[in-house]
Amino acid sequence: MTSAYILSQIANGVILGSMYALVAIGFTMIYSIVRLINFAHGDIFTIGAFTTLACIALAKLPFPVAIVVVVAAGALTGMVIERIAFRPMRGAPQVTGFIASLAVAIFLENLAVMTMSAQPRTFLVPDYLNGLVDLGLMSVRMIDLMIVLLAIVLTIALVLFVRFTKVGVAMRATAENYDVARLMGININRMIMLAFAIGSGLAAVSGLMWGSKYGQISPFMGLLPGLKAFVAAVIGGVGSIPGAVLGGYLLGLSEVLFVALLPPEYSGYRNAFVFGALIIVLLVMPNGLLGRNTEARA
Amino acid sequence: MSAVLPLVRVAVIAVLGWLLLLAATSGLDPYTVSIIGFVGTNIILAVSLNITNGFVGLFSLGHPAFMTLGGYLTAILVMAPARKAVMLKSLPDVLVAQQWPFFPALLVGGLFAAAAATLVGFPVLRLRGHYLAVATLGLIFIVQSFAVNMSGLTRGALGLSGLPALTSVSWVYLFAVVTVYVSWRLKHSSLGRTMLAIRENELAAACLGIRVARTRVMSFALGAFFAGVAGGLWVHLVTLISPHSFTFLLAFQLVVMVVLGGTGSITGAVLVAVVLTVATEALRPAEEAAGLFGASQMTIAVVVVLVLIFRPAGLFGSAEPNLFAWLHRGARASLPTSNP
Amino acid sequence: MPNWKLGLAALAAGLMLATSGPASAADPIDIAALYNISSGGLASLDGPSLNGVNLKAKMINDAGGLLGGRMIKVTAIDTKDDTREAATAAQRAVAISGLTAGIGHSDTTFALASAPLFQSAGIPFVTSGATSPDLPAMVGSEMFLVPFGDDVQAHAMAEYAYNTLGLRNIVVWTDNAMDYTTGLSRYFIERFKALGGKVALEDIYMTTDQDFSALVGRLQAAPDVDGVFASSGPDTAGIIVKQIREAGIDLPIMAGDGFDTDLVTSVPGPKFATNIYFTTHAYVGLETGPAKEFRAAYEKEYGNPPENAFAALGYDAMGLVADAIKRAGSADPKAVTKALAATSGYADAVTGAIAYVNGSRVPSKPVAVMHVVDGVMSLDSTVTPQN
Repeated sequence: MTSAYILSQIANGVILGSMYALVAIGFTMIYSIVRLINFAHGDIFTIGAFTTLACIALAKLPFPVAIVVVVAAGALTGMVIERIAFRPMRGAPQVTGFIASLAVAIFLENLAVMTMSAQPRTFLVPDYLNGLVDLGLMSVRMIDLMIVLLAIVLTIALVLFVRFTKVGVAMRATAENYDVARLMGININRMIMLAFAIGSGLAAVSGLMWGSKYGQISPFMGLLPGLKAFVAAVIGGVGSIPGAVLGGYLLGLSEVLFVALLPPEYSGYRNAFVFGALIIVLLVMPNGLLGRNTEARA
Repeated sequence: MSAVLPLVRVAVIAVLGWLLLLAATSGLDPYTVSIIGFVGTNIILAVSLNITNGFVGLFSLGHPAFMTLGGYLTAILVMAPARKAVMLKSLPDVLVAQQWPFFPALLVGGLFAAAAATLVGFPVLRLRGHYLAVATLGLIFIVQSFAVNMSGLTRGALGLSGLPALTSVSWVYLFAVVTVYVSWRLKHSSLGRTMLAIRENELAAACLGIRVARTRVMSFALGAFFAGVAGGLWVHLVTLISPHSFTFLLAFQLVVMVVLGGTGSITGAVLVAVVLTVATEALRPAEEAAGLFGASQMTIAVVVVLVLIFRPAGLFGSAEPNLFAWLHRGARASLPTSNP
Repeated sequence: MPNWKLGLAALAAGLMLATSGPASAADPIDIAALYNISSGGLASLDGPSLNGVNLKAKMINDAGGLLGGRMIKVTAIDTKDDTREAATAAQRAVAISGLTAGIGHSDTTFALASAPLFQSAGIPFVTSGATSPDLPAMVGSEMFLVPFGDDVQAHAMAEYAYNTLGLRNIVVWTDNAMDYTTGLSRYFIERFKALGGKVALEDIYMTTDQDFSALVGRLQAAPDVDGVFASSGPDTAGIIVKQIREAGIDLPIMAGDGFDTDLVTSVPGPKFATNIYFTTHAYVGLETGPAKEFRAAYEKEYGNPPENAFAALGYDAMGLVADAIKRAGSADPKAVTKALAATSGYADAVTGAIAYVNGSRVPSKPVAVMHVVDGVMSLDSTVTPQN
């Protein structure tokens, strides 16, 4: 158990955390505005990965352009889903929306299976991202650096947007008090669309990152990361963007370190660990670390 | 006397139904008979989930976890000791030596699931709404993790295959009838009304002196019992069990059955369970022939969203259609057969 | 009222649809083929296997069929990378009236799901690619293997590692979610240690894992390691190679026939897919008449050369069953089982002659050791281990 080993595992935890954080932000944004757990979020993650593959392999676009396309594709998908499946559900009890999002998730997964077959596919990254970068104490791959940097950049951009732009403030107002925001003349539909668009765009980018890191994508790849990102959002406090980021990194780090530090026989318990942590957090800290109590949860 | 008569009536109808079923299935090939078996287990699952989700209003996605628990224990109890000695090395000798007949093994499997539900229920059921949903979903993964890793007890991710095909249409029918009957009597009893009260307004129910937490755990455990039994039945119909036999997808399908049928309606749950199972199996050859894998699931998903948009209360809401009203003649008066 | 009538009608319709399945006439010989066609990494093995089965059936039919003109009818059922589907598929298969035999599966766990149903129906099940030597004991008298057993290939790899590559201290990664990989590791470690080698670390993972960073970390931290044995199926093969190489580890990676998939070269890319050795079914190196005929026919029928050894295995499975039918003189399952059990030398096999000696239902066949260099797979040698 050398220090190099622990350092490299921490690095892995940070990378995994970056991916969880982006998806968690999306969850939290959507949740804070429409009080809906969007189960289909994980599938937008998958769509992001496949879109990247299409961009690079079929359209032969340069990687940075592909990133932009992926964000747009994710945002678009999110908006379409909102319009078709969730807007009619507004005002209905919580669970109705949840079931609707489950249905959308199943629909998307099976659509992917039908059109692209459930085969895992190789994910291609441009060669310049494959090199190793020496950081003194350890070396990481270019792609890992890119993932972390991209996550940080996007998060900062989002926080600035939400804090300082008029639209961002309007979104926060809608999240805080739906009815008063409407009374103030804010176009609620547009705010909700925007939340879905941004959240889904981020999820799509996270899918791109996941594919880049692991090299293999399949139609069901989004299910577990999506759920784990939800756990991250809850741990950090649903409704809080910094909370989602914090939760994402905490979860990524603890998941990797859990597997890394315990004897190999226990590495199979990683999912049990994640969901056990969820239940414990929900019971002990219903608002998560940074959340505010905006509804009855327990 | 007036309470026994409906029971006798029910028993007679049940036996007649059984004989009809036996006659109908005697000429069919084993594959079709197994489909009927699946229909039956889905009825048990949907109706038992209705007790948890429909009557009390708990949004539980945990049924697959209880099926796994019940399924494994039933399989272990029923398996021949020689096989167990080879396949399950860490199993305590007491269990290796057992070889039980099917019926008691099923019951014990169900009780095991119910016990687990009670244990987990007290903390987890403090949550509400979709947080409870995700927590119970987490239960599925937790149970899967344990099943995969305790390979000495369960053969891990490899699962147990080649199990004796003990599930016959008769067994499934018996448990389906029992589940529906228990569910029916529960709904029209004082305890059932308590549950419905909790669903409608928990605070008011608590104010009326109802022990909310206890009732919620009880309904959770009852649903889990039947889920465990259904797990044992299912496992011996398919002849194998693995940690991934009962997934989140199954949880979704069960919730769909309950929601489409009308949350709280037993008849609705039964009907939708039958129709959905038959439709999925019937569409399967067509799906394969056309190469459109997943089309049936997609169609179901679309139907669910449409139903949620246009008829959110489901087929029957919480009502039981009047066709069964004649069963109640002779039982207690003024039964609520529909809820506002 | 209308609602329950609707339900009943739906039930009746469903039953009618379900029972109107394939009703075979007296003439064709029905064979069921169970494979994971549409999903999972195993599809990269099962797809070519099914192609091989269909190709052989077609060739036999074109040459006039069996038993005086009866055509072979292969009913392919997709088991969707789900063991439950495999069991249900087996139930559907044995419900085909007059079914002579079942062929299928490239993985032991799936064979274990399907074969018991054939066993209880008294119909032989010939697996083209499942390699656990315990299968006949676990399933019963109807279970027949076309490929060699995992003990044979693991011993061959262990000997190659020790004698040819000169490795002495190895780390073993095992997929705990597959019967195949757990057995393979066991046999490999047993032979490697018997030769005098050391196993520095035995690490485990699950088929669904994608993040091997912890295992890679432990591999890096283990001192004086000169090789890695990755007991893996096709789902994780490519990912494992990629993550090991990305960490800068150049050690030779060894594996079994689970690596016989294009995912091993496509996922890591040519730069990382190098210094890999794996054992597989000996078909690439054989230049016998039947092998050449197979390759040419496959390319003609499907437009590309056989993807991997599993195509050849499927071809051989169908060929073996047809040979047994000929020897039995009938398509009755019981007679075919007897004939299969008495196979003393089916020499038309592309992957090596098949014989079931001394009541064993696992053939003893040569093992091909493949070498991957810079993304290109080639045959290194063909070995027969001493047992």
